Order: sequence, then C-alpha cells, then structure tokens
Amino acid sequence: MQLTFETVAALVALPFLAAAATPLVFRVLGERTSYYAAAVAAVCFALVAGQYGNHGVASMAWVPAYDVSLAFYVDGLALLVGLLASGVGVLVFVYSGGYMHGEPAQSKYYATLLAFMGSMLGVAFAADLVALFVFWELTSVCSFVLIGHYTGQASSRYAARKSMLITVGGGLFMLAGFLLLADATGTFSLAALLEHPAETHAALTEAGLLVPVVGLVGIGAAAKSAQWPLHIWLPNAMEAPTPVSAFLHSATMVKAGVYLLGRVRPFLVGTEWELAFVALGLVTMTVAAMLAVGATDIKELLAYSTASHLGLIVAGFGFASHYGAETGAFHILNHAAFKAALFLVAGIIAHEAGTRKIDELGGLARDLPITAAVTAVAALGMAGVPPFNGFYSKEFLFEAAYDAAHTMGGVWWLAPAIAVFGSVFTFLYSIRFLMLFFGEKPDGLGDVHRPPLAMLVPPVLLALLAGAIGLGGITGALDVPLAPVENFVGEVVTAVSGHGGEEAFHYYVPTHVTPALAMSGLTIALGLAAYTVYDRLHALVNALTTGPARANWWYDGAVDGVTALSEAVTPRIANGLLRTYATWALGGAAVLTLAAYLSAGVSLPAFTGIALDTPLVVVSVVAAGAAAAVLLADSHVAGVLTLSILGFMVAIVYIVASAPDLALTQLVVETLTLVIFLMVLDKLPSWYGGTERFRSIRDAGLSVLVGATVTVTVLLATAGGRPDGGLQPAELGRRALEEGGGHNVVNVILVDLRGFDTLGEISVVSMAALSVVTLIAMRERVGGEA
Amino acid sequence: MSTVVFRTTTRVVVPIILLVSVALFLQGHNAPGGGFIGGVLTVTAFALLYMAYGMAFVETEVFDRSDEPAEDHIYGGIVVYYRLLFACGLALALLSGLVPMLLDPLGFDLPFMSQNYLVYHDVPLYGEMEIASALAFDLGVYCVVVGGLLTVLSVVGSE
Repeated sequence: MQLTFETVAALVALPFLAAAATPLVFRVLGERTSYYAAAVAAVCFALVAGQYGNHGVASMAWVPAYDVSLAFYVDGLALLVGLLASGVGVLVFVYSGGYMHGEPAQSKYYATLLAFMGSMLGVAFAADLVALFVFWELTSVCSFVLIGHYTGQASSRYAARKSMLITVGGGLFMLAGFLLLADATGTFSLAALLEHPAETHAALTEAGLLVPVVGLVGIGAAAKSAQWPLHIWLPNAMEAPTPVSAFLHSATMVKAGVYLLGRVRPFLVGTEWELAFVALGLVTMTVAAMLAVGATDIKELLAYSTASHLGLIVAGFGFASHYGAETGAFHILNHAAFKAALFLVAGIIAHEAGTRKIDELGGLARDLPITAAVTAVAALGMAGVPPFNGFYSKEFLFEAAYDAAHTMGGVWWLAPAIAVFGSVFTFLYSIRFLMLFFGEKPDGLGDVHRPPLAMLVPPVLLALLAGAIGLGGITGALDVPLAPVENFVGEVVTAVSGHGGEEAFHYYVPTHVTPALAMSGLTIALGLAAYTVYDRLHALVNALTTGPARANWWYDGAVDGVTALSEAVTPRIANGLLRTYATWALGGAAVLTLAAYLSAGVSLPAFTGIALDTPLVVVSVVAAGAAAAVLLADSHVAGVLTLSILGFMVAIVYIVASAPDLALTQLVVETLTLVIFLMVLDKLPSWYGGTERFRSIRDAGLSVLVGATVTVTVLLATAGGRPDGGLQPAELGRRALEEGGGHNVVNVILVDLRGFDTLGEISVVSMAALSVVTLIAMRERVGGEA
Repeated sequence: MSTVVFRTTTRVVVPIILLVSVALFLQGHNAPGGGFIGGVLTVTAFALLYMAYGMAFVETEVFDRSDEPAEDHIYGGIVVYYRLLFACGLALALLSGLVPMLLDPLGFDLPFMSQNYLVYHDVPLYGEMEIASALAFDLGVYCVVVGGLLTVLSVVGSE
C-alpha cells in the first residue's frame, strides 16, 4: 500500500474515535463490546500491515503560516511497535470478553484501552518530537486510568498514582531533553534528525549538549520501561485487570521506552551512550531477575521479569555494535510474544484456580493441558533455552557483550559476566513458572475449570508465533530461513542502526561452538544447578530486600516527605482569607516579573521629558487627589466611590489621547464594577475599624512593589516601538476599511483582523463563568462549608 | 439600598441603558461600540435591577416566571438561561468562523474566520446600509459577555 498521509492519520485516529463512541456502543452491545474493540484493533492492524515495506514521512500542512505540519514517520521500528500495539490489541480485546465478564465499569475499560491503543500508535508513527511527547504522555494517562480500574481499592489508587508520578515525571525529563535537542539542531522534526544522524550527532557534541540529552532522554525511557531504580511502579501496576497487564505492562506501553531509545539511537549512539545504557540495562536485567525469584505472586513474578527483559533490550540498544541493534530489535518482538502469552496464562490461572500465590499452585497441567503447552513454549523462550525464541535474541546479547569486552577490554569484561549472572536468574524464575503446571497438586487448591474459548485462543496464537520464530532458527541452520521474520527484523535493525544502508538479519541454531553459545550453555548449567536450591534463593532475596535496600523505601519516603511539606506550607499561603491570597499572588507575580527583567538584563529607556498639556495635567491632579482620598476614606462606600473617580479619570485620559473605544470600554466597565461593589457593600459592615501597624506597612510595601512592576513593564513595553511585523496605524486603518468594511478600526481588529484572539477571549469569559458556577455548586455539595 | 428614589430612578434608567447598549452594539462596526461594550452595558442594567428590586423580582416580574420558585440559583431559575446564552454565544462565534470553510466546495478557498461585507444602497430610511459578516461574530461576543457576566453576578449575588 502506498504511504499516504490519510492512511497513517486514519490508523492513529481510528482508535480515538472508536473510544469516543464506546459508551454508546456499550449501551447497545453490552459485554460484546469486546468484539467491537477487537474489530477496531483488527482494522488498525490491517492498516499498519499494509504499510509494510514503506519508508519515509507522510505529512500535511497544518498551520502553513508558522511552518507547523502534522507528520508521521514510517519505518521498520515504527511498524514493529505499531503491529505489536494493534496485533496484541486484537488478542487482548478478545480475551477481555472472557476475562472481564461481570466486572464493573466495562465501558470505561474498553474506551480507555482503545484510547491507549491510539496513543501507542501515535508514539510509534510520530515524526515530530512534540507529537511524540504528547502521545507518550497520553499512554501514561491511559495507564493511570487502567491501573486504577478498581477505584474502590486503596492499593489500586496507590499503584495508579505511583505509575503516574514516575512515568509522567520521566516524560518531563524527556521533554527537557527534546528541547535541548531542538535547541542544538534547530528542528523538532524526527525525520529531519534521522536523515542526517552524523550531522545531528556532531551538532550536539559541538553545543556540548550530547551528555545532557542522552541523560534526560534516558531518564524518560527508563521511567517508562521500568529500568532500575525506576522499576518500582511496574509490580504495583499489576493491580490492573490482567488483560491490561498483558497489553500495557508487557507488550506495548513499557516498550515505548525502548522504542524511544531505538528511535534516537542513530544520532545519539557513541561512547557515552554505550556506557550509560549497557550499565543501566545489565543492572536492571540482573536486579529485576533476582527480584522475580523473590516474588510470591505469579503476576509479580512476571512484572519483575518484564523489567528484567526490558533491561536486556536496553542493554542491547546500548551496545554500539551491529549485534546490539539486532539484540534490541529481535528481543522486542520475542519478548512481546512470550510475555503477553504468559500474562494471559496468569490471567487464566487467577480466573480458574482462584489464586495467584505461587505456593498455592501446582500440577495444573492435568486440568489445563492446552494452557500448559502454551506455557511450556513461552516460558522456555523466556528462559533462553534452545530452540525457543528467546534463546536467539539472548545469543545476540551475549555476542554483543563478548564483542564489546573483546574489543575494548578492561572493565568491559564485566558485561558478559553480568549478562550470564542475570540470565541464570531469568532461567530460574522461568522454570519456576513452568513448574506451576507440574508436580503435585496442593491440597488447598480446589476445582480448576477450563477457560472459555475467548480466553484460550489469544495465548495459543501468541505461543504459536513464539514457537514459529523458534522453529525458524532450526530451519535457518538448514539454510531454509523463516523469511518474513528475518526480513521484518532486518527492517527494524536498519531503522535503529541508522547507517543508511539496508541491514540483513539472520538467526539460526549455532552449528559450531562460539563464545556466545558457551555462555548460553553456562547459563543453563548454572541455572539447573541453582534450581535445586530455589527456595533458599527465594528466601535470601527477600531477606536482602528490606528497608533502604528497596527502591520503594525511597519512593514512599519521598512522597510522604513532600506531602508533609505541602501540608505544612498550605495553611500559610492559602488560609481562606482573600487578603492572604492577594498578597501572595501579587507579590509573587511582581517578584517573578522583576527577577525576569533583571536576569534578562534589560535597561529602562532614557527619560526624555514629557509634553505637558493642560487637560492631562488637570486629569492627573484629580486622579492623584482621588487616590489620596481612597487612603483617607473612613468607610467602604466612600473608598469605593473615590476609587471610581480614579477609574473615570483614566477614561478621560483615553479621550484626551483620542481613543474613544477604550474610553467607552473603561467607562462601562468602571460603571459595572461600581454597581457591583455597591451591591456587595450593602451586605457588609460599613467599617471594620482600625488596622494593625504591621499589616499596614506590609500592604504599603506590596502596593509600592506592584506599582513599580507595572510602571517598569509599561516603560519597557512601549520603549521598543512596534514589534516586528506589526502594522503601522495608517496601514491598519486602510486594511480595516478595505478588508473589513468598517470605519471603527478597533472593532474591526477585534472581530475581523484578529478575530481569533477575540474567540480565545470569549472562551475565557465562558470558562470563568463556568468555574464560578462549579465552585459554588461544589461548595453547596460539601454542605455549605466556606 | 432599595429606597424609593433609587427604585424610581432605576425604572426610568434601565430601558434607556438597554437601548443604548443595543445601539452601541449595532454601531460598533463604524463608530465606538461593539459586542463587548454593549454586553457590559446590558449587564449594568441588570445589576441595577437586581439591586433595586432583588433577584426574585427580576425572575417573576421581568421574565414572567412566577410559577417556579428561585430557590436554587445554580441548577434552576433564570441562571439556566444565562448559561444557555453564553454557550450559544460561544457556539455562534465559532460557527460564524466555520461558515467560510464550509463554502469550500463552492470554489471559495477561505480559511477559518474569514469575514466579508455587503453594502446596500437606497434602503428606505437608512439610505446606505452595510451588512458585515463580522456582525454574527460580534453578536456571539455580546451573548458571551452578557451570559457569562450575568451568570457570575446571579450565582455570586444569590449567595
């Protein structure tokens, strides 16, 4: 299919439209909404698959005057993530039909899941850093809603908040990185950055921004992809319904982080990149695998395992070598296949056996034979046992690690050592998960039912995919490779290596002994040996992870500390007295404005004297007199009346300066405020009595500060003359008459020439009115509390 | 506050204010005035009525809604109409901007919010009369200002 803007825009927009229509559809279809959602996902899948083989940018001018366009970028990596999002989406929606039977808030569930799918497709195809950021944060918001699906449970709410804080916070770091990137290269367009990766890299190095950009983008990716020590939100995220865990927290959303690394890899890769991400990835892979061994709940085990495998992908993308790109690209596909299958299996177990505790499960193969077969394929792939699919991508990691150690030597020899060490734990927990299906059935475990077909078909399909990839390795060794997979992964490798040339990709069962094969063999041997003492390792991991050794200890401490701090500060700033709010708001605005002027180093225009004409002097004297009278007024009514004299004098200044429209506006507004003031004052005591000296001095100081800020601002704003591109008054008048047909230039500007601004302003007026209504309605709802 | 003098003055002044506000709104295209100024002046007239006679009077006598008690000024009573007014105003302003885009199929390539005007000659009484498409947008502004400010005024005033 031709790469057209319409197709890509349609496949990104379709899930959002479908999500908007979900409440209506749910009213008609009820629980069968799952099939509607699956159909939407299937259409998206077909559209994405239709783009296979395409490369390049599809864009449409949006605001041509400002050179803003809506653009999508299509290449192998984007297609991989797009296919995962829509393909796993189809399966998860079908599975949800069985799993969510009788659950609450299904309309919200399907709508959010569809919106998530759209956001994920947006992340995959965004050709612009800003668009990427927006879709990225949208996935976090959807994840927040889905994790907190059971709104009644405190643990759900805690988990949702935690994932929101960490992933959205990480997203802000990423935004800062994007801004630096755009500052150094002068463009927000990903397509432009990817077109000349070497030039982009050079520009960043020259600006001295390479390390900050790598660091900031890395933090964003690490938060999203649950890298140590930001992995802590992922195990909590298992509070979500299991299909959500399979979809968001194993196959797609957490892949956004590694997708980002693959996306920016072509122009950021270098020594700093390699050091940072190899270390981060390998540490995460090992720590998370050890934590998975310490898990007591099957979903917790899978969550830590997901973090561990994401670490493997990060480490893969970290290695600058060709093997590194192949590791990351291939393992994204493999991991999505086996992990989504395992999550769906975990959902079946929880649903049919009624428990998720590892200790309470065993011998499930007799009741769930098909599920057991699925688990065998998926878990052995996860363990990295040949010839299952995870084995090949792990081989690439070992090769990349060995290659790095061999060429760079020294401390780099740690890389293969840690890789093997972490993989031993991966092997351990994978086998432990598989053994849930074998051995003796514990006495406490009651009847285990067969799952409905809707819950069985999706994991079977995923396992078939994983198995097919695995078999492709055997046939590959016999020179009959699994061409579609090899070509597809080759496209992804091309996208993440950024050399410009096509990269060929082949994988097969090794036919002779290589260092990588030796490392795999060592892993499996050590794993088998360690499995005999699994229970002691399990206890050891749990004994080691207490107190400050847990990342959660730091997170909870920080959140509690910040909460206590804001509870301590709030009563001082927001104590319910209007006076206090005004003091802080006005003082804060004045200080910030003045500080901005100081840091920008502006200088006031030279004083050139003022032309004194009689009317202006008279008006000024009256105004000054009124101002003085306000201070001396001995009642509210007198104060307001004298204050309005000041306002009317301002109107006269406008008349003198021949601005009748402004004068009219000022007069009308002044009248209205006066009337409203009088209306309110009618209900208030006429005078509060004397004031404290301290408060008077403070208020006087604040008034002087605000007055000075306004004066300086007016002087600065009028000093520079008209901003560039502004029209001269005569030109404005001519255009108003010719184009707008009006003699009142001000009004024509308001409703015609700059009508867009006015539209914004009246929207603000409407929003203000709505907020007042809402605020007062809320106050009445909580029982008249002020 | 609601003395006889004040009430009587209000009675005389309010129709004049309303008339002037409409005049200001209509003449805005060529002379000082326009939707915003006209709107604020209209609100002033209502504020005077509220002060002199109270909200209940405006509700029952001016708008002839005596059958409904004005207990709840947020969800019920006249405020509902004020809210409708500013919502419609905003919609009107937006739609008036969209109209030029809808003309696209007719061969006009007009961006969002293009305006135009027609001048009619030999209109009885007026002589020359100009109709500007911007008037629709300005009417939207007028409605938003009147509706928005009156909503705030009534809701806060009823507290």
